[in-house]
Amino acid sequence: MSALFDPVLRAPLLGSMIMSFATSIVGVFLFLRRNALLGETLSHAAYPGVALGALLGSLLGAAQDLTFFILGGAFIAAWMGLLLFRSLMRNPTISSDSASCFVLAGFFGIGTLLASFLQVPFPTAFRTIPNYLYGQVATMTDRHILLYALLASTLLTFLILFFKEIHLLLFDPQLARSLKGSARWVERGLSFFVALAVIMSIRSVGVVLLSAMLIAPAAAARQYTDRLSLVFLLSALFGTLSALWGSLLALHLSARFSAPFPPGPLIVLLSSAWVLFSLLFAPKRGLVIRTSRILIFRLHCVEENLLKFLWRCNKAPLAEFVATFGLPAFVIRTLLMRLQWRGWICRDQESYQLTVSGRQRGNRIVRLHRLWEAYLVTSLGEQSEGVHRSAEEIEHILTPELEKELTELLNDPKEDPHAQPIPAKEGA
Amino acid sequence: MQNPYSGATFFSFFGVLAKRLWHCATGQLEGALASDELQLLVLIGIALSCSLVGLFLVLRKMTMLANSLSHTLILGIVAVFFFLSAQGETPTLLPLPALLGAAFIAALLTCVITAFFTTVLKLEESASIALVFTTLFALGVLLITLYAKNSHLAAELVMGNVDALQRGDLKAVWIAFFANSLLITLFFKELKVSTFDGGFARSQGISPTLFNYLLMGQTAFTATAAFRAVGVLMGLAFFVAPPLIARLFTHRLSTLLKLGLLIGVAASLGGVALSRHILSMTGRGVSTGGLVVSLLFISYFALVPLSRISIRRLTFTK
Repeated sequence: MSALFDPVLRAPLLGSMIMSFATSIVGVFLFLRRNALLGETLSHAAYPGVALGALLGSLLGAAQDLTFFILGGAFIAAWMGLLLFRSLMRNPTISSDSASCFVLAGFFGIGTLLASFLQVPFPTAFRTIPNYLYGQVATMTDRHILLYALLASTLLTFLILFFKEIHLLLFDPQLARSLKGSARWVERGLSFFVALAVIMSIRSVGVVLLSAMLIAPAAAARQYTDRLSLVFLLSALFGTLSALWGSLLALHLSARFSAPFPPGPLIVLLSSAWVLFSLLFAPKRGLVIRTSRILIFRLHCVEENLLKFLWRCNKAPLAEFVATFGLPAFVIRTLLMRLQWRGWICRDQESYQLTVSGRQRGNRIVRLHRLWEAYLVTSLGEQSEGVHRSAEEIEHILTPELEKELTELLNDPKEDPHAQPIPAKEGA
Repeated sequence: MQNPYSGATFFSFFGVLAKRLWHCATGQLEGALASDELQLLVLIGIALSCSLVGLFLVLRKMTMLANSLSHTLILGIVAVFFFLSAQGETPTLLPLPALLGAAFIAALLTCVITAFFTTVLKLEESASIALVFTTLFALGVLLITLYAKNSHLAAELVMGNVDALQRGDLKAVWIAFFANSLLITLFFKELKVSTFDGGFARSQGISPTLFNYLLMGQTAFTATAAFRAVGVLMGLAFFVAPPLIARLFTHRLSTLLKLGLLIGVAASLGGVALSRHILSMTGRGVSTGGLVVSLLFISYFALVPLSRISIRRLTFTK
């Protein structure tokens, strides 16, 4: 962390962080519009601009610091790429991915050609160009930081000022366009800032890896919240932190292996690892979380079925459970232990039986089951043969509020469609 | 031996080429293959194999996946380099089985991991593609850094160097062409059906998914064979541009194929000739690969007005 204050290292570090901040905000637009690969197209399209900018800068004698020329050239090239992409899309026989790839590869080829023109007459300029292909923050200075900070704050201001329009544009673009004239300008502004963020950041992670810096923070942020403002906030946070830790890691590894580790790939790997983690473990949306919730619910259902089984036959040994339910013995034993722990069953040598509270619990489950059957037959007109199946599933999820409503609706029935008594309401 | 093409301008290039071809045919050719001819042969091979596969990639809207693949190739190639150097050999040219291995690793990783993100983790498709290829590319660059202690080795991998080609590169590229032609000819009907009417194909027992995987494998192998010449990023142009240009003039599949091949060859010829012309006129060497790609790109826009004329004719004839 001392690197933040080291005058040589501070610029690259801060530079990476600011650039990631910009791309992670802009990336939210791209991600939510399912247009993740636009960044890829723009970053490759910027390449000829990099070469031309370097050429122009060298011709005008600015060989020491070509950054401004290169950024300008890159922006113009990226914008041209965007316009070309849009005009190709007007041709109905060309699909969006073909148009993207055509613009991407074509511009990149032109860029390679232009760069090769530079090689002999302007060797210094020529050597700067790969910095933009693969990222090369080490040579950034405080002046660059100022420039990037300025650009990033323009982006932030735009986001805050026009948040309502952006929100609408993201979720209902047609309504947005039909409502106010400003929406169209905001959309143009969005395209402008996407291009700006792209060309700002090709210096930090390079042309190829840029797509990750656009998408990964946004994709991760999306897993934690549904609110747009939070998505932007979290995305910016994740992006900036990845840049910080990736750069620090690069410094550390470079020292350790005495080889110049490029920070770009490390930043990308950290971001991607975080996305993977978020996709798996984010509360509510993470895959592992969702799957375990489903698993826990299924076990809960089995538990209640075990209870019902005991409710019917009063006393049963483990073997009978295993035989009826067809589950492995250890599973049943564990679930029965849980029921014991909750005080609903007790174990008497080899067989299990219900406690008083267990019997009440069983009453409730059976009540819900039979209430539901009664509802299906009476109110929905279903045949009494088919309702058992449905009730077997619904009994586990009916809440006390629903139970109350069903009781009122059916006038507190005493018998279900199979002429079996419905246990009285708990506490009655 | 003096390069017979040195000093040639654009048109005289073809004169020299024709003369040498004639000598070759009549058995009077002396000397080895000139570097220009080597470049030409490799580029033509690349253009031919890529446009065959590229047509189906474009029609099946798989070009972004192909772009993704061309980036993850880096990882495959690096993995193979590591494997080979662990066994004691560090070749500058990858032998054919190594190429196959690299292509296979890359194709497998890309397709499987992207599918995992899309279907299991339920991440949106373009985001999955973007994430997977950049991560694998980053991994590849890091491995190169560890291995070569110089991440700028990645530059040659990414951009290739047509001007540093050797005869061994010819073999890989033309094997790719023959493999692709064989597969396309063999499976033409199945490819046609599964491209244009997936539901009908499935009802006939032809699985579009299977052919998607086949195409990805072909893309991987072709791109691996081409990477030394044009690098991974420009290879994409060879896949995508000829079909798009051909599509300006026709919608028939067989014509699209043939036209694509023609366009690829023309661009390669033009590019090499132009490169020699520039070298002769200005004494400066330019990136021939970049030149060919630029030609392909520009010719699309140059041919659009021409295509409008022929389309009118097409709609009145069969």
